[in-house]
Amino acid sequence: MSTATAIDVLPFAALVGEEHALAARADDTVQGVSPSLVVEPADEAEVSAVMREASRQRLTVVVRGGGTTLAWGTPPRRCELLLSTRRLDRLVEHQPGDLICVAGAGMTLAALQAHLGRAQGHRQRLMLDPPVPPEVATLGGIVATGCSGPLRTRYGTVRDLLIGVRFVLADGTVGHAGGKVVKNVAGYDIGKLLTGSLGTLAVITQVALRLHPAAPDSRVVLLDDSTPEALAARVQGLARLPVTPSCVDVIWPDRTCAVRVDSSAEGAERQVQIIAARVGGRILGEGEAAALNSSLAQRPWMGDGVVAGIAAPRSRLAELIRLAGRHADEVVVRGLIGVAEARLGADPAPITALRNGVEQLGGHLVLHRSPLPLRDLVWPAAAGAAVELMRSVKHALDPQGVLAPGRHLGGI
Amino acid sequence: MDSGLVAALARAVPTGGLITAPEALRTYECDGLTGHRVVPSAVVLPESTDQVAACVSACHQARVPFVARGAGTGLSGGALPVADGVVICLTRMRAILDVDIQGQRVTVQPGVANLQVSDAVRANGHYYAPDPSSQSVCTIGGNVAENSGGAHCLKYGFTTTHVVGVTLVTPDGRVTTLGGAVADAPGYDLLGVVVGSEGTLGIVTEVILNIIPIPETVRTMLCGFASMSAAGLAVSAIIAEGITPAAIEMMDRLAIEAVEAAVHADYPRCQAVLLVELDGPRAECASTFARVEEICRQSEAQEIRVAADASQRAMMWRGRRAAFAAMGRISPDYYVQDGVIPRGRLAPVLDGIAALEQEYDLRVANVFHAGDGNLHPLVLYTGSHHGEGDRALELAGRILDLCLSEGGSITGEHGVGSDKACAMPKMFSEGALEVFTRVRAAFDPDGVCNPGKVLPTPRLCGEVPGPYRPHPLEIAGVATRM
Repeated sequence: MSTATAIDVLPFAALVGEEHALAARADDTVQGVSPSLVVEPADEAEVSAVMREASRQRLTVVVRGGGTTLAWGTPPRRCELLLSTRRLDRLVEHQPGDLICVAGAGMTLAALQAHLGRAQGHRQRLMLDPPVPPEVATLGGIVATGCSGPLRTRYGTVRDLLIGVRFVLADGTVGHAGGKVVKNVAGYDIGKLLTGSLGTLAVITQVALRLHPAAPDSRVVLLDDSTPEALAARVQGLARLPVTPSCVDVIWPDRTCAVRVDSSAEGAERQVQIIAARVGGRILGEGEAAALNSSLAQRPWMGDGVVAGIAAPRSRLAELIRLAGRHADEVVVRGLIGVAEARLGADPAPITALRNGVEQLGGHLVLHRSPLPLRDLVWPAAAGAAVELMRSVKHALDPQGVLAPGRHLGGI
Repeated sequence: MDSGLVAALARAVPTGGLITAPEALRTYECDGLTGHRVVPSAVVLPESTDQVAACVSACHQARVPFVARGAGTGLSGGALPVADGVVICLTRMRAILDVDIQGQRVTVQPGVANLQVSDAVRANGHYYAPDPSSQSVCTIGGNVAENSGGAHCLKYGFTTTHVVGVTLVTPDGRVTTLGGAVADAPGYDLLGVVVGSEGTLGIVTEVILNIIPIPETVRTMLCGFASMSAAGLAVSAIIAEGITPAAIEMMDRLAIEAVEAAVHADYPRCQAVLLVELDGPRAECASTFARVEEICRQSEAQEIRVAADASQRAMMWRGRRAAFAAMGRISPDYYVQDGVIPRGRLAPVLDGIAALEQEYDLRVANVFHAGDGNLHPLVLYTGSHHGEGDRALELAGRILDLCLSEGGSITGEHGVGSDKACAMPKMFSEGALEVFTRVRAAFDPDGVCNPGKVLPTPRLCGEVPGPYRPHPLEIAGVATRM
């Protein structure tokens, strides 16, 4: 570990108030790296001032929202200051007629959904169900990790729902991109650049998000079959049916696939009937479906195991299930879009075997949650012009390496 | 131009792939924004990624700017040449390299026309969703550069939603891939930045596209209203109800008149029409379609026509697609604007545009992708009347101000290009522009890749463009403005 850099605390206390410039405690540690100070700015101007001061003092900064995904990525090489977005938790606007909302990066997913649920005469939601506790996980953190859940099959990831972003660079520069309209091609799409950047490029302060109407009804069909090949064939059969499922999640070793349709009562009923008739499966009753829905996003994240994010060609579904079944304790594959999350033990051998197998299929594997001794296995090998471009982008936005240095691919 | 560079370019492309004769260069002097014209020093027509890389390397070494170009149908001057620079025209790279129906991917070279992608997979029940109205001629490379939309992106998303990977020649001539057929490529999402970067971050030479199944059913209706604001309220009500039609298009009386004169689409004679299309599973579509009809009736639609079959649907769309070109029937000249407003603000913005018509004593025909708030007001003028062209441009600029004051955008799908680079500071703060500049420099530190586009420069923003002149493709009836 690097030697601790001395921090001049007073300027930070002056910027955000003494009660929001706190000495770091043991549970503020980021992947084994202990910051000295936790700063909680109240608004974007304070974030900018804090970053300017941190850069001036040559400190390194890790951004924390709810702290649920701080272990994603590799450990930062240094971290003296933890910048908490906790107080940037305001709903700026919700325009039900336009199906958009704008919120501070520190607002939790649950708080946002609760606000949306209270809007009179509308049933709108942010169609994201990432595998993080929604009452803790923040919108900024969800953007910074790009994490997603079963709904991805129909609505995409936060990449597809983010229509605008405000942020602060390491040197305090306040930037923004996109806006609050759903169609907009003015300027570079910095929102996509920041999605999944793990706080290494900028501090996200505010996000504008596209919303969807909540469907009045929801039905689930459970497919099952004994081999990966047979199950995959059923799942791929779904793609040819006139149905629009919200999620299609293969769960292994359960040998099942949960197919959920969210629609009008009539539309949902007709679609599950089509599915049951054409690819088989059992239409679940209300209670059973609700139990399954509530556990689906969390499934491979239960317990303490290592969790790997996997992507592979959609046409190699059977091989992916078989491969993950061999090396992982549990895997959930979003069957129509070629992405999966797998839980493994802390032994490096099966992780490496799974990675090699996935890469042979033409895919890749990244460890999302893993203990420190596995830090060298977090990212796949990184080389080539694309990684050089990523380094150039990092250098352009954060030339001194202030923001979470070393957390991203290739030590960026 | 430096003779060493000319020789290097000649070596980089096959015989006949280098154009330097002044009369031949004039073909490339503008794109669909015909008021801006610059003759380049040379045009190259490479046929492979390696040839593009060789051309870019040669330009980069000589520090000579280059501009990528596809079919030249862009409406913001994104492919406007740079004086003394090179145009790298990709229309000879028009191979469909791979079709993977099960994986729902098609890999193409950038010169492939948008519609060719759907043509290649239609027999297998799939299509490529983004549908800019010039889709029969505009290229995928240009679509990637502009993040093109189209009438159906309301439901299906824009080019950026459907491009999953590209091969990029960086501004110094290196070749790299970004994204890929498989989701979630590790590292920063540079693909997301390159799509829509208007050719300023490199040249895309291969594109992997996502294709989707053709919906089971399509239902289309045309509704006539007694006023634009009544139609606007109907749109707001449909969206607020949570219905996502495949498309909602809106035209005003002036646009309807022009269309009727041009293509006889038999639109209702009224103050405003809405063209609403729903698609998807039959199970879902029928009840939603009935609900949309009900909303339109409640919004006092005077007339509702439902397309009984594919040919009636085609006729309804024919009117909409002909709208820009049809303006020639009612005005010698026109300027196409492209702005965006929040969808709930249609009615007040329409009132604002009407007030501007009075103030400037000019007519504005309104053609909108109403479902996503994307306005295409057409400012009509007579170029031969002294000062009218300038007044029209000023009015068009005031419409953008109106969009911004409602929290909208200066462009929804045509791009910033050279046309609106100087308007960027109206929408973006100094800090935001600084970030864009830094990202651009990360890709292109020497400033050779399509300079003068997207971001304002003092030189650029001192000049005044000429009036609109019709594009050769428009005169030939091949392309329309939308």
